[in-house]
Amino acid sequence: MFRFSLRNLLASKVRLLLTMASVAVGVAFVAGTFVLSDTMAKAFDELYAGLTAGTDVVVRSESAYDADLTTTGGQVRPVDEGLVARVRAVPGVEVAEGSVFGYALVIDSHGQPVQPGGAPTFGTSIAVDRRLSGAATIREGRAPVGLGEIVVDARTVRRAGLALGDHVDVVFEDARRTFRLVGIVGFGETDSILGATMTGFDLPTAQTVLGKTGVVDEIDVRGADGISDSTLRDRIASVLPDGVGAETGEQVAADSTDAVRDAMGVFTTVLLVFAGVSLLVGSFVIWNTFNVLVAQRRREVALLRAVGGTRRQVLTGVLLEAVVVGVISSAAGLGLGVALAAGIRQLLKLIGVDLPTTTPAIETRTVVAAFSVGVVVTCLAAVLPAWSAARIAPMEALRTAAPVNRGSGRIRHAVGWSVLAVGALMLAACSVAGDQRWWTVVATLTTFLGLVFVGPSLARGLAAVVAHARRPGWRMAARNVARSSRRAAATALALTIGLTVVAAVAVTAASLKDSVSAAVSGGNRSDLILEPEGAGMGVSSSVADLLRARTDVDAVVELREWGAQINGDDQLVTAVDTAGLDRVIDLGIASGSLDALRAGSILVSTAQARHLGVSAGESVTVTFPETGPRPFRVAGTFDKGSLINATYVITLSDFEQNVTSRLDQAILLTTPGLDPDRAKERIGAALADYPNVTVNTPQDITRKAQHSVDQLLGIVTALLLLAVVVAVLGVVNTLVLSVMERSRELGVLRAVGATRRQVRQTIRRESVLMSTLGAVTGVALGAAAGVGLARSLSEQGITTVAVPLVTLAAYVVIAIGVGVLAAVAPARRASRVDVLRAVAEE
Amino acid sequence: MRTTPAPMSAPTTGPARTTGSGEVTPAVRAVDACKVYGAGDTAVTALDDVTLDLPAGRFTAIMGPSGSGKSTLMHCLAGLDTLTSGRVLIGDTDLAALSDRERTLLRRDRLGFVFQSFNLLPTLSAEENITLPCDLAGRRPDREWFQTVVDNLALGGRLSHRPSELSGGQQQRVAVGRALISRPDVVFADEPTGALDSKAGAELLRFLRSVVDDLGQTVVMVTHDPGAAAYADSVVFLVDGRVVEELEAPTRDRVLEVMGRLAS
Repeated sequence: MFRFSLRNLLASKVRLLLTMASVAVGVAFVAGTFVLSDTMAKAFDELYAGLTAGTDVVVRSESAYDADLTTTGGQVRPVDEGLVARVRAVPGVEVAEGSVFGYALVIDSHGQPVQPGGAPTFGTSIAVDRRLSGAATIREGRAPVGLGEIVVDARTVRRAGLALGDHVDVVFEDARRTFRLVGIVGFGETDSILGATMTGFDLPTAQTVLGKTGVVDEIDVRGADGISDSTLRDRIASVLPDGVGAETGEQVAADSTDAVRDAMGVFTTVLLVFAGVSLLVGSFVIWNTFNVLVAQRRREVALLRAVGGTRRQVLTGVLLEAVVVGVISSAAGLGLGVALAAGIRQLLKLIGVDLPTTTPAIETRTVVAAFSVGVVVTCLAAVLPAWSAARIAPMEALRTAAPVNRGSGRIRHAVGWSVLAVGALMLAACSVAGDQRWWTVVATLTTFLGLVFVGPSLARGLAAVVAHARRPGWRMAARNVARSSRRAAATALALTIGLTVVAAVAVTAASLKDSVSAAVSGGNRSDLILEPEGAGMGVSSSVADLLRARTDVDAVVELREWGAQINGDDQLVTAVDTAGLDRVIDLGIASGSLDALRAGSILVSTAQARHLGVSAGESVTVTFPETGPRPFRVAGTFDKGSLINATYVITLSDFEQNVTSRLDQAILLTTPGLDPDRAKERIGAALADYPNVTVNTPQDITRKAQHSVDQLLGIVTALLLLAVVVAVLGVVNTLVLSVMERSRELGVLRAVGATRRQVRQTIRRESVLMSTLGAVTGVALGAAAGVGLARSLSEQGITTVAVPLVTLAAYVVIAIGVGVLAAVAPARRASRVDVLRAVAEE
Repeated sequence: MRTTPAPMSAPTTGPARTTGSGEVTPAVRAVDACKVYGAGDTAVTALDDVTLDLPAGRFTAIMGPSGSGKSTLMHCLAGLDTLTSGRVLIGDTDLAALSDRERTLLRRDRLGFVFQSFNLLPTLSAEENITLPCDLAGRRPDREWFQTVVDNLALGGRLSHRPSELSGGQQQRVAVGRALISRPDVVFADEPTGALDSKAGAELLRFLRSVVDDLGQTVVMVTHDPGAAAYADSVVFLVDGRVVEELEAPTRDRVLEVMGRLAS
């Protein structure tokens, strides 16, 4: 039986290749996702392990909770530098040094900021005892001493075009300063820490320039020989004040990696969703392929059965094929996945997210996942057709004609339409009600399930309409689609899945874009908005001071944000200057008042207030990672936070008491009496020292926001395209198989006078019919789902719903065009059918 | 491009059976037709210098034992296959001079086929199968002619049925209808009764006879059944790719007699 199965597989290489390709792409996505996140985690692992290699114990403030790294940058409350001496006095401590870190942006020799996408730009103190620096070493020059000296990582030195002895300008939270480059830092063989720019100073200098006078962020300790890290940690812990803890270096490295992994969690989930979509599409294709394959081999199977093959043997045979296909394509998919991981990283780099890299991490889990997903999906998709193959009565199958679809059962029909109706109603309800994210997903899946049931009916319906066409080519194509309506439906549904997601994303993105411009034009009262350039961490607060001193600027409102918990939920808290706030932005106060926002009070977005069940005058608990829980009184609720992406607003003074960072996320200005372009020019010129700050008019902000939505849309669409590619492979597969199955009919057609061109046209039209079915159902379902989704994301700033009709129509047209392309090879094959062999042989 | 079809220009007034072959223009001519499969030592000669006139308005049977080349001859006459050397003329048209596309159009417009295994398109109704050549040509079928054909074949009530809903005999009559719809110069029938029971077979042969007698068409039929050959106006005997005998006004017994003689 095994030999028989293998021979079957090899008998049709095209079919085999197409099937495998569809499995491989699905597997590649799963594997790629794992490889990418594992590689990143590995890179961080190596980094942290290297950096803490020489440090036995780290002393630092305990965090109130494990905050998301992306919202806090891992900043903990600095401790008093007096603690260093106390730690040093603990028996068994050989060295103990305080260290600080913070924002430091290097300006290159052309006056441009060295701003890596995504990676931090930080400055730190260089330990006097070199062993504490771990893998970080001074490659050239020497360690910095005093206020005027700096060391910089080798990659940044290269990128900024610097050399030892050069003057280097650095922008800090509070000012721009100039230093002399005295050393170049390397990290083992690597030039930089995962693309981050690093500047180093001696401790007193670092404390001064990083705004941490008298305090240190952590104390790094090296134990004397013969004392274990954990013993040392416990000894140190006993002398520490409340709120300050000691951890071993290994623990710190592990915790840091975990935090990074958590921060990447969402990203991984998104990728896995893509993987799921393409796998779903893939399984449709595989199911179809095996279905056709079995139908095509009815005679063969019947012969086997007639000469004494048991059903079990037939079943085993098909399953065996599935396993072989599954294993080989999973292996291919795994390989593709590694490449895909690199590809996705490049794609993200395009939008400025520069992920760290090291050699690809292929863990056992990845391999197991790839193979089990590939093999299991293939086997599941093959098992049903195999089952029906085994049930074929030998004599029935020996009939020569191609199998004609039996009509689907009445019950299936009724159930299908009911499910479809329920799904559609749910979708409509979700769109009307709004705020129903999960129900929208459920409704979409339900509708799709309905489509699976009624797909064949839809295919027949479409065929019936087209069959009325006068042109015989269309009629024949329609009849062929109707004849194998199940197969046509399954082929089309693979396309439906891909297009559903693409269309839903398109609707959501269009709504987001509209909302962005609505937000800017609706809530904004400022003339200029200052933002950090690219993926920058923020704007130095000295910029705001500089602006306040100007006479042509009226209101200057700084805006900062940080991660905090509100009544136990992780959220972003926005801090603003209360003075002049209502001159730069209209928050749309719904209850309470803006005047009531002062120290100890908070403004909450209307939606969040409803969610928390609080109203003006009541109290909420805000837990800052550095300082722990603080009660805040709700001063009021507001509706229009989307311009500044705010759901919780507190005062700047409260923020400064609880958050160490002094970076502004944005600065809003009014420049009364000035033409906007002129104002932009003047402010830009005034900020020549801060090349990392962009000056934007409200229109610029809209454009930038819409541009980033477009970029995101582009990336998501690119990823989803793979799912569509799989579906197209499915169309090709179905057509090739159906051409092979019908070679005799095609021969007759040629014999009675159909030209090759006419035969090609018929096949092409079949393809067009199938892709039209898939495209129209997919885009319709996707648009409905997109409206539901957009309506549920009002808190994320989507306030208006837009359906991009042109884009959606374009998707349908493209899908149909792709149908034509998919038919090229099968059609050629059909037109080359050997007429004589088809009609002469019995 | 279509030449005046012979049956239309020379409608027969009585049974063609009594007409002498010399008075009728040939619908199909083979001149020194050779067909060799393979090359060198393994070459097999399927047709060996066949020269043959098949008169218009008549029913000709081609007979011969298995491997005699009768099917090859018909495929070559019908433009489904090409000769190694020699010529085949349909009316005045030399098949060898035509491209694949031109041959296809010739088949569509000027030839009809009936195969042993019906070979109807399962997705089309009986009527659509019959009008297929017209549809392919983008022409509306001549309704009057269509009606005449359908009446002759006694298919009136079954036109909207799919092939799978028809009996073998009915399917083969639909196939004959398809072959006739474009008023071809010649209808080629390859063992048309091979897949039918004797009753349906006899019925079909009577139809083919009437197609020639009443509709003035030309029919060329390959068969190995002496009974079937007896319906024809003349029989051409083929052995080893050569025409060895021609028989006018055959009866079953005379055919059997010739076959016996040729076999010995």
